[in-house]
Amino acid sequence: MKTNRSLAGRAALALGLAFGLGAAGAAQADSAGIYNASTLKTANGEQIYTHICQGCHMPDGKGAVGAGRYPNFAGNPAVVSAPYLALTVLHGRRDMPAFAERPGTGGKAFGIVTLTDEQVASVVNYIRSHFGNSYTDSISTADVTADVTALRQPPH
Amino acid sequence: MTRRDLLRMIGVTAGSAAMYQAMSSLGFAAESTFRQPAGLQGAPKGASVLVLGAGIAGMVAAYELRKAGYKVQVLEYNARAGGRNWTIHSGDTYTELGGFTQHCKFDPGLYINPGPWRLPYHHHGILHYCKVLGVPLEAFVQVNYNAYVHSSKAFGGKPQRFRNMRADYHGHVAELLAKATNTRKLDQLVDKEDQEKLLASLREWGALDKNYAYVKGETSSNRRGYEKEPGGGLTARPVTSEPMSFKDVLGSGLWAMLPVGDNYEMQTTLFQPVGGMGQIGQAFARELGPLIRYNAKVIDIHQDESGVTATYEDTTKPGSKLTARADWCVNTIPLSILGQIPMNVGQPMVDAINAVPYAASIKVGLQFKRRFWEEDEHIYGGISYTDLPITNISYPSTGYHSRGKGVLLGAYIWGLDAMEFTAMPPEERVQRAVEYGSQIHPQYKQEFDNGVAMAWHRSPFTLGCFGLWSEEARAKHYDNLCAVDGRIVLAGEHASYIPAWQEGAVTSALDAIGRLHQRALAGGAKA
Repeated sequence: MKTNRSLAGRAALALGLAFGLGAAGAAQADSAGIYNASTLKTANGEQIYTHICQGCHMPDGKGAVGAGRYPNFAGNPAVVSAPYLALTVLHGRRDMPAFAERPGTGGKAFGIVTLTDEQVASVVNYIRSHFGNSYTDSISTADVTADVTALRQPPH
Repeated sequence: MTRRDLLRMIGVTAGSAAMYQAMSSLGFAAESTFRQPAGLQGAPKGASVLVLGAGIAGMVAAYELRKAGYKVQVLEYNARAGGRNWTIHSGDTYTELGGFTQHCKFDPGLYINPGPWRLPYHHHGILHYCKVLGVPLEAFVQVNYNAYVHSSKAFGGKPQRFRNMRADYHGHVAELLAKATNTRKLDQLVDKEDQEKLLASLREWGALDKNYAYVKGETSSNRRGYEKEPGGGLTARPVTSEPMSFKDVLGSGLWAMLPVGDNYEMQTTLFQPVGGMGQIGQAFARELGPLIRYNAKVIDIHQDESGVTATYEDTTKPGSKLTARADWCVNTIPLSILGQIPMNVGQPMVDAINAVPYAASIKVGLQFKRRFWEEDEHIYGGISYTDLPITNISYPSTGYHSRGKGVLLGAYIWGLDAMEFTAMPPEERVQRAVEYGSQIHPQYKQEFDNGVAMAWHRSPFTLGCFGLWSEEARAKHYDNLCAVDGRIVLAGEHASYIPAWQEGAVTSALDAIGRLHQRALAGGAKA
């Protein structure tokens, strides 16, 4: 397996998940509603939020504070900008992983989870219309795709 | 000339890059860089170091710097030492981000390691500190031939014994290769003399019969086990077992789970501290004593021409603001948190800190009313692997045959599955681990007692499991992350080539303090 030569791959092996997403294939779609790499593609913005985002950003969108923090979406000036949120989801920010579909990942490399451009738009629109936010301007799939194309290089 | 001599010579004449390349090709590169003794000596008179974080990296740094004569103080966010080196015991309470609180209701003496849980024999650094600090070790069983490999999509979802799958996979592959040899298909590849040796080796390796066939019989059953075990007396006669077909073996995909224990980090012997991994952190804490200030949340780090000041909140007094100051700073705060703390270092280090996302991971500890895996299935330690989201069931490598309850690791989850489990309340994680695990052990539903679930992205002190470097990010930023910036140096598993392992934290800390010490010596006494 080519990815095993990378350090992330080495860590993956070290941690004993060499086949978690690899040769033996991803688990079947689960009756209880756990997504796998392929069924995830059917999830809408709300489902993506409740299955992935709320792990850190919490079910109420309020984030949390410990030694560090996860931001609160309510009244957060960053939420004003849909493109900012879309870029954050696509490319990640600091400890937050990137979710953009990009060459070479194929959803198989260790720890990589990807969302389609449509899903990125959908989850951004979901955040901007929930958790005390009621922005009416929405971002389209085409806007997200344009962002990806214009910003092949991660922003800094 | 030995291989090591050769390497030393290459190192001397061609520099470290050539050395590394030569080491890679000779298979040395993955070995820990730890060489004892760390042995820093002769701190400049009155020199001081502030260590941020009392995890393994921070405490190794503090221990060695104090020994070298520095005045050391350590700030730690948690009310305990160890960081990710941690064991959850009976009676412990853990509140994750979001306020979800769990009370561990395991029986006394039973535990789960939510973070690191095994120590390879070649992680010389962490083993050195276990020895120095008097932390007793016991064997950690990684490979258990009687544990299972399981696919929800093969053999009707019935788990297979590792022993059967391994014997049959090797046996059939050996038979195939022997056939290819005997029908002259390898003539272009292997000369006549070597073909004979190859055939002999295939018979050994694959447990083939005298005709180079992998078939039911004494030879194969001696690997895969018997239908009826040999015994004594009148019921003694064994019945040999029938191997699975090659088609079933290949089609199952379970061969992918066989080599886990062949990976360098999983090879026998592995260890675990008696009583849980957290014993190491506790031993360091006893050793360092009052040097560590607990409940200290760092909120600002500022260096100037004469020293470094950390501003922190005493979390038992919300809103409080205290400061700690020293000549130098060893900063082991995880990058996930450090990226949010104002710190005046150069742009290259800032960019490096911000370039590393943190991996999602889940561990679930499950207590059962009895050790059914031992009593019913004769599984003593080791790990069953599955294609279900739980990925592993790991049986305790200690307390064999003890009566009463038992705790096993019921899930060790990564990637998308880990993100999804993180998004669930803890009790749902436990419940799902029980549901999935019952596909492998039907006793689960009857015997389950209680459980705890650790979701590392909700850890208040790390905001994730470990620094997930991409190759691109490492090429661009790693050296900048590790370089001393003025009076500050970073350390931790995130500043190592052994990500997610405690050995990365140990070797990173030793490397960092070595360079800091050189700088302190060069700068004379108090700068």
